Amino acid sequence: MAPISDWIVLSNPMNNPLYPFGVSNMPYNAGYKIWQILGGLIAWLIDVIVPGNRVSLWLMGDAVSNALGMILMVIVIFAVCFIVNLTMIWVERKVLGRLMDRRATMIGPLGYLQCLGDGLKTFLKEHIVPDKADHMTYMWAVSIIVGSSVLVAGMIPLSYRFFLHDYGAGLLIIFGLFAVAPLMILVAGWSQNNKYSLIGGMRGAAQMISYEIPILLVFAAVALMAGSFNINEIVRYQSENTWFIIPQIIGFVVFIVAGTAEAERIPFDLPEAEAELVEGWQTEYGGMKWGLIMLSEYFRGYVVCALGVIMFLGGWDIPFLGAETWGAELAFLLKVFLLFFIMAWTRGTLCRIRTDQILNLGWKVLLPLAILNLFVVVVLKVGGLF
Amino acid sequence: MKWKYLDQYPKNNARHLWVLKSYWVTLKQIVKSGLRRPVTIMYPYEKEWIPDYYRGRPGLVFDKCIGCRVCERICPTTCIEMVTVEDAEGKEVLRPQVNVGRCMMCGYCAEYCPTKAMITTPEYELATFTREELIFDPFQLAYEGHNEEMEVHIAENLISDLEKGIDDRFLSTVDVDRPILDDDACIGCSRCARECPVGAVEMIEVGKTEKGRAIKRPIFDNDKCIACERCIIICPKDALELKEVL
Repeated sequence: MAPISDWIVLSNPMNNPLYPFGVSNMPYNAGYKIWQILGGLIAWLIDVIVPGNRVSLWLMGDAVSNALGMILMVIVIFAVCFIVNLTMIWVERKVLGRLMDRRATMIGPLGYLQCLGDGLKTFLKEHIVPDKADHMTYMWAVSIIVGSSVLVAGMIPLSYRFFLHDYGAGLLIIFGLFAVAPLMILVAGWSQNNKYSLIGGMRGAAQMISYEIPILLVFAAVALMAGSFNINEIVRYQSENTWFIIPQIIGFVVFIVAGTAEAERIPFDLPEAEAELVEGWQTEYGGMKWGLIMLSEYFRGYVVCALGVIMFLGGWDIPFLGAETWGAELAFLLKVFLLFFIMAWTRGTLCRIRTDQILNLGWKVLLPLAILNLFVVVVLKVGGLF
Repeated sequence: MKWKYLDQYPKNNARHLWVLKSYWVTLKQIVKSGLRRPVTIMYPYEKEWIPDYYRGRPGLVFDKCIGCRVCERICPTTCIEMVTVEDAEGKEVLRPQVNVGRCMMCGYCAEYCPTKAMITTPEYELATFTREELIFDPFQLAYEGHNEEMEVHIAENLISDLEKGIDDRFLSTVDVDRPILDDDACIGCSRCARECPVGAVEMIEVGKTEKGRAIKRPIFDNDKCIACERCIIICPKDALELKEVL
């Protein structure tokens, strides 16, 4: 019977022959170490009960450690995402509170725990499905909306060493999954058998589909300038040359405006429009379903801000220090919060725009501006400046 | 034709930039409310500053009260009721009891109190669990640390003075009116003298009847009188009347 210190060994995950990443990966390291502590404890307990068994050795072997390390890594990434998201909700509430000259959230230190309290409250609500709603689509639509939003948020890398996977076409994959939700919003609005939610769902689909085009053109311009769709490459290129906000200021403005519309935030919250459409396409969703939908909206807001930071504000690059420094994750999150502060500030400043204006703005203003931005990038690239 | 008002707008597309002005306004607001605390007051934990002469619930200075029932009569919501209680010496006296649930904090009782025994306290948190607790007896009405600022003094101009052109003479309500006796109606029953809270009424003999019994008539001590109208209300023959005497 071996002592517990023989079972809990904190080894370097890079020494595992099945290590899935080429470079060091922070969340994987954390997940691997968590498994080494947890699994070591379990293996030791089994070994105490049945000395000399092979299950303990199998649990601490390379294959099982690697697999459970990856599962725990996903949990770690989700936890970080979730905490960032709660912080963003807190930032928004505090900024709006200060804008209205009142104290915003008050629960916990600096009002930080209010979101958790709200989550607990919605969690305790009854699960109600309308009688005439289409039950399957009603439930699946909200599941896919929430799931795809969380998935996209988890795929955002926080730094060169904090990522889920280093995709070759990261931007395209993230945006492709980001565009799943509009279809499901239409399905959700239709399935509830309610005129408000149907109108909201149709508005949501129309708005999101028309605003995806300028965003894709901005993506194209960024990828053209960096020469890659890989997020790591884009950030490295910006770190070596200049942040893309300087040559592509038009693209940045287009992306922020269209991204605000994609995240369904004021002044583009027509699908919700609580003054005219009760709660828009979420009207018949109650309890934790509604809570998750609200949470997923903030996840989508986080994705928009993070993409804006990656594409235009240099990602995790710190000026004069380079992209691969110690506080890269913090620098990235600070930039995200700065961008989100601008979004919250906009929410406190502007009113909702009209239905006819929103498509006008998308097709007649943002699309030509995005094409102009692409043209500028092509000229710069051909001229050899970048 | 259809868009006749649209032509009045300038054709300049830069006019859409008015949006940026509102950003500047809200940015100033964020900075301002970020530097100082917001205007909201966390009520149960922090309390609003109370001005001087604040009219909260009515209070009573037990020893100054003479039980003249003026407050009961003047109260607009009739929340004051006179009750008989024992004072410190064991004597039974009349004192006001206030139903604070009905009180509208107007302070009229304190204004018209002739001895300024009624005061307006700065107390405003009066919620209770039962309605019975809202009825404050004379001892509950006492307010520790009462001072002269809690008394309410009013002064009035006489209409006769205003007609004469004098508008700078202010009188206390106590000094203006006095009861006047209609001698023919009086039956000399002495109820006014028994009722008077300040002992300003004295019954004196003015003669004898044919059967040899004394004929009594009230005499009013105008210095002591506080014009509380108790004698007028109690008089069985309506022989007394309150009149402006100054």
